[in-house]
Amino acid sequence: MVSAQAITRRFGDRVAVEDVSFDVAGGEVFGLLGPNGAGKTTTLRMLGGLIAPSAGTIAIGGRPFTRANAGSLRARIGFLTETPGLWEHLTAEDNLRVYARLFGIAPPDPAVERALRLFELWDRRSDRVAVLSKGMKQKLALARALVHDPEVVLLDEPSANLDPQTARTVRDLLLELRRKGRAVVVSTHNLDEVERLADRVALVSRTLIAVGEPAALRRDVFGRRLRVRMAGAHPPLPQLAEIAARAGAQDVRIDGVALSMTLDAPDTATPAVIRALVEAGAEIREVFDEAPALEDVYLKLLGSPTASEADMSGTPGHPS
Amino acid sequence: MNADRIAVLIGKELREFRANPAAVIPVLLLIVVCTFMPFVVVYVVPLLTGQSIATDRSLEQVIAAARVNIPGLADLHGAAATESFLFQQFLLLFLIAPIVGAVSLAAYSVVGEKQGRTLEPLLTTPLTTPELLVAKSVASFLPSLTVEAIGIAVYFGLVALVGEPGVLRSLFTLRTAILLGVLGPFASLTALQATIAVSSRVNDPRSAQQVSVLIVMPLVLMLVGEIGGAFFLTSTALLLLSVAAAAAWALLVMFSVALFERETILTRWK
Repeated sequence: MVSAQAITRRFGDRVAVEDVSFDVAGGEVFGLLGPNGAGKTTTLRMLGGLIAPSAGTIAIGGRPFTRANAGSLRARIGFLTETPGLWEHLTAEDNLRVYARLFGIAPPDPAVERALRLFELWDRRSDRVAVLSKGMKQKLALARALVHDPEVVLLDEPSANLDPQTARTVRDLLLELRRKGRAVVVSTHNLDEVERLADRVALVSRTLIAVGEPAALRRDVFGRRLRVRMAGAHPPLPQLAEIAARAGAQDVRIDGVALSMTLDAPDTATPAVIRALVEAGAEIREVFDEAPALEDVYLKLLGSPTASEADMSGTPGHPS
Repeated sequence: MNADRIAVLIGKELREFRANPAAVIPVLLLIVVCTFMPFVVVYVVPLLTGQSIATDRSLEQVIAAARVNIPGLADLHGAAATESFLFQQFLLLFLIAPIVGAVSLAAYSVVGEKQGRTLEPLLTTPLTTPELLVAKSVASFLPSLTVEAIGIAVYFGLVALVGEPGVLRSLFTLRTAILLGVLGPFASLTALQATIAVSSRVNDPRSAQQVSVLIVMPLVLMLVGEIGGAFFLTSTALLLLSVAAAAAWALLVMFSVALFERETILTRWK
């Protein structure tokens, strides 16, 4: 549905995005992660046809963006921009009605009502945007991005300014969009959100650092680790660690009352290790595959956020 | 260009103007001043000073010289001739008012989008840059033109009410038609297009509005020069000025489209 092939974007001498490629299929939620200034917004703008890549191609539904078809391709995209960008002097309903008509929806009112009700703004439809809270403005901006029921949805920080309940509503909505076969690209700093939502994530820092399913990224970065937590009385843990190593475990570490280890062939080696530990007198409470948080993957691949931000945001005023 | 999208955006702009008196009130105030100031000069000031403008020597000389160029003056004498001459000259104010009005609205319209960061979402729609520019221009032009038309109607109505016999008829000339119907609109369009061009480089509506001075100053000089008898612009001269204004507008449209390159707007507007 969305295809970015070797896209690069330069602003003068500065390279904001370099040689980034990925595809997003219909029915997929794709997370774009990276520090400030990593090129996420620039990438989204290129995907949305707002700015052209300096090199590479963007295609929507197999059709590459050109000057001639940019308008018709943009009509297939719903774009939540970094800031809500609503007309403050107009009512919530008027804001959406203008966009519905610009997207060619006739008559616009049923679509506007559907979008307002979806975000529980119907009762506030006659209020001027200026009097709405930040969270309501963000919801209205989301409603605007979806008012024309687009095939492709690009969201720049969708949960910004939202209370937990509304953030949950947005997550549910994104899952609904996935169920309806829409291609959704979400740029965010909220790793927890991406962890819950995204089928695949791309870690970007000007270039594409890694792309894949969150679980696969964890495995690629940290390897697959088995964790065995003890209960009750058991032999000293250093002794159990040696027993586990003799049974085929590698890189055995002691963490509290648990052992953490890697196994060459986890499916066959796990029973042997557990059996050896039990025979040595260990009482085992639980055995499970370790799943490091996506945040750990992020920090390992991109370094500490503070350092990255300092490196990447040295040119204020440029898009990130 | 898609007329529906342009119409939608014009409608939005007009609703915003209605909801934002800060942008519209200066325009209304100016047109009120332009409409009533000539009557203050012609009727109230003489009353307060006790000096009739019909007996002002220097004005008499100017009017005598102007009779050659203003056909309507030939049949009028005394106070009627003075009133006709002054009301003709003050028509120039109705060029200045729509220019300032259009500039004021255009500056709010463009810089307002910049300040509210509302342009990027707008550019995510199928709207093209020329459509955006046309809508912005028309939306700023129409209200100022409407207000001007109302002001002119009130002006002529007051002349009919309080003017000497024959004065109103003397205002209905080809020169007046060119002045208000051709030069006025093109001068407004030129000014607002210049404002739109400047607006893409500034962050404050007042900065964008300053461009109107470049257009208004020559008009003020025209007004002062004509009332002082330094020169008189005939219908032909006004027509030539209209052509010049139209050409300047066309050039500015092209210039504005170049400046309104979407990427420039998105990446440089901060």
